[in-house]
Amino acid sequence: MAKYQAWLALILALTIGAVTLIANSLLSENPLFPTSLGLDLRGGSQLTIQVQPTAAIPTITDREMEAVQSVVEGRVNGLGVSEAVVQQLGNDQLLVQLPGINDPQQAERVLGGTAQLEFRAQKAGTEQQLLVENEILQEHLADLAQVQANLPPTGAIDDATQAEIDAIQADITISEAAILDLFEPSELKGDKLTDALARPGNGTQWEVVIEFNNEGANDFAELTKSVAGTGRGLGIFLDNRLLSAPRVDVQYAELGITGGNAVISGNFDAVSARDLEIQLRGGALPLPVEVVENRTVGPTLGRDSIQRSLYAALVGLALVLVYMAVYYRLPGILADIALVVYALLTWAAFVMLGVTLTLPGIAGFILSIGMAVDANVLIFERTREELRAGKTLYRSVESGFYRAFSSIIDSNVTTVISCLALFFFGAGLVKGFALTLGLGVLVSMFTAFTCTRTLLFVVLGMPQFRKPEWFYPGISRLTAPRSATP
Amino acid sequence: MNLHINQKRSLWWSLSGLVIGLGIVAMAISWQQFGAPLRPGLDFVGGTRLQLTHVCTLTESCTEEISLDEVRQVLADQGLESSSLQLLGQDRQTLSIRTRNLDVDERSTLQANLEETVGPFDINSTQIDTVGPVIGQQLLASGLLALLVSFAGIVAYLSLRFKLDYAVFAIVALAHDVLITMGVFAALGLVLEVEIDSLFIVALLTVVGFSVNDTVVIYDRIRENLKLHPERHIRDVVDESVNQTLARSVNTTLTTTLPLLAIVLFGGQTLKFFALAMIVGFLSGVYSSIFVASTLLTLWRERSGQIYGSGEDAPDDATTDPDAPTPAEQV
Repeated sequence: MAKYQAWLALILALTIGAVTLIANSLLSENPLFPTSLGLDLRGGSQLTIQVQPTAAIPTITDREMEAVQSVVEGRVNGLGVSEAVVQQLGNDQLLVQLPGINDPQQAERVLGGTAQLEFRAQKAGTEQQLLVENEILQEHLADLAQVQANLPPTGAIDDATQAEIDAIQADITISEAAILDLFEPSELKGDKLTDALARPGNGTQWEVVIEFNNEGANDFAELTKSVAGTGRGLGIFLDNRLLSAPRVDVQYAELGITGGNAVISGNFDAVSARDLEIQLRGGALPLPVEVVENRTVGPTLGRDSIQRSLYAALVGLALVLVYMAVYYRLPGILADIALVVYALLTWAAFVMLGVTLTLPGIAGFILSIGMAVDANVLIFERTREELRAGKTLYRSVESGFYRAFSSIIDSNVTTVISCLALFFFGAGLVKGFALTLGLGVLVSMFTAFTCTRTLLFVVLGMPQFRKPEWFYPGISRLTAPRSATP
Repeated sequence: MNLHINQKRSLWWSLSGLVIGLGIVAMAISWQQFGAPLRPGLDFVGGTRLQLTHVCTLTESCTEEISLDEVRQVLADQGLESSSLQLLGQDRQTLSIRTRNLDVDERSTLQANLEETVGPFDINSTQIDTVGPVIGQQLLASGLLALLVSFAGIVAYLSLRFKLDYAVFAIVALAHDVLITMGVFAALGLVLEVEIDSLFIVALLTVVGFSVNDTVVIYDRIRENLKLHPERHIRDVVDESVNQTLARSVNTTLTTTLPLLAIVLFGGQTLKFFALAMIVGFLSGVYSSIFVASTLLTLWRERSGQIYGSGEDAPDDATTDPDAPTPAEQV
């Protein structure tokens, strides 16, 4: 009896610990183990980025991935999303998680897209042309905005309007190409740019600081020397579109801007400076990247999912509890207690291990509730068989446990094998499901062999509960004829 | 209740064969229509799915259903006529559009045009899924790999704990469950346009893990009974073992499917069919362990002349003599 009391104390202590942990993680301001919710539950964007090899870099090694990842991380930080995560996936993919983002389009634009950044010196004698071309381009852009603003509210575009839009688009492309042609191609590409930063300048103006590596610093000095004081601009092109064409002050005519640092100032406000900064930094990507997957869930939908899953979990648990109590009577009720303990312990284990809860993960947990009683069912069925065979209640329970043991082990190991396979070969969501289910199976084996067992023997230690009828309704009828024959 | 399962072996097998056959027909039709045995969802073929919900704080936007004609018009203007549309939710205020893979600019344009046409959408209830075709292939490949690895792991483990023939028939029963689940979903895909996503693969793998669990419990019993009664005919031993474990098989399947049923009833859109796939798989799993795995084992033993147990089936730790005192502490 003393042994069971010790077990009882242990189970009680574990349960109290689990409840405390769960309560702490849910209610405390700064919990010991904060619960982390997957993006499908809290809302946000998850992007998979594919890094593409180029002729210059035909194979993507870990070193390249590192470079890309750091740049992507930089871009992600540029978005100003808190708690963003960038992870490498496989050999050539990145997984970017942006919780609570409300503009997935912007994120995708900033993160994807193959940026080609180039600094070009304006050709001599093109000052007027540039002004004219730029004016033309602005006109085209204004035309486009006009046409789009005048579209009928039904969104139906007739052929004439569509043709007009296409024509304007073509004009814009032509203009952009013409502007590009006014600048000399150079060797100073984005890969030599190490950093760009927007910062407040004089008064309300903002400016962008750029920084080059050593090679870039020399190229930049050459370029700036060639246009310094001439009134011609230094064109910064991203994907052949002019981002900015700052002029270089005459004081740099001698040596150019040396040291690899420069400040671009002009008509920037906080937003446009920031845009330029992000675009410049994006241009520093050594490899083309493409967003191949985007999964965005609005926070309202996530909350809805949590609520529904919670209902499903509670209803599922209640159904199982009722079924067990009705079918197995007293042991069923004890199994129910063990099941609640199981649910608490498993949840606490998730909290402690810092498992990120996802929707499939919750499904795995709900499913494991149903599976957790399996061990109990096996034990109780065995107990009933022993009772039918005319053994005493105590001996029946004992051998019920003893004989169900190998079935429980064998049947659970196969489930764990599947979970391991899912965990090691599956991707994101699949992993979460496998982890919660596998963990659940392991904890359920523990609770069946300790919790149910202890409760049963504690109950059997009390004479008022030692009624075979409470374990097996109708058992007296089954065994009565037997006891009449010696 | 006493089942003599081995008496009507051919009946059970025909029943399974019939369901699997129908499933294969459904898969063949799907193959014709979609080039895949089941209606592939976004995860496998790639594309973009937009789910947009009206903002209902502005009363006039939620008085009537979203007009699908208007939406179709917007799509047609962008050359996306072949997209599929659906209205979701009880008040039909949620629009789900599935198109070919849109890049970010096309998507923004589409969203802007829709906003303009059918009214303001709630940014917090928007769901976007864009999946490149590469991702689908990776998913499928990793899913199949996981399936094969778990098959191999299960065979290895069962061969170790039982004998190879047990393991082989457990896998046959497994394939039976996977086929039936796939067949049912192929039919659902044809009738109700249910698409399968990556979660379906997860459901299949769970069915694999759990269906074996059921088979193993029966095998465990057969092994034990063969050891206890080496003089009895394999047929009787198997029949008896199935009957002894029947209550457990039914109860466990019930307690496992009850929470899944709760997910089907109360869970969100995403999990409904995931849970349904598992329910189908588990029901088929309990059937196959009772009526297929055990009867095939009987047939095999009869054909290979192992009609009477030799006690080889049981490893040393399997069971104990029923009358030996159990290592219990006396109260």
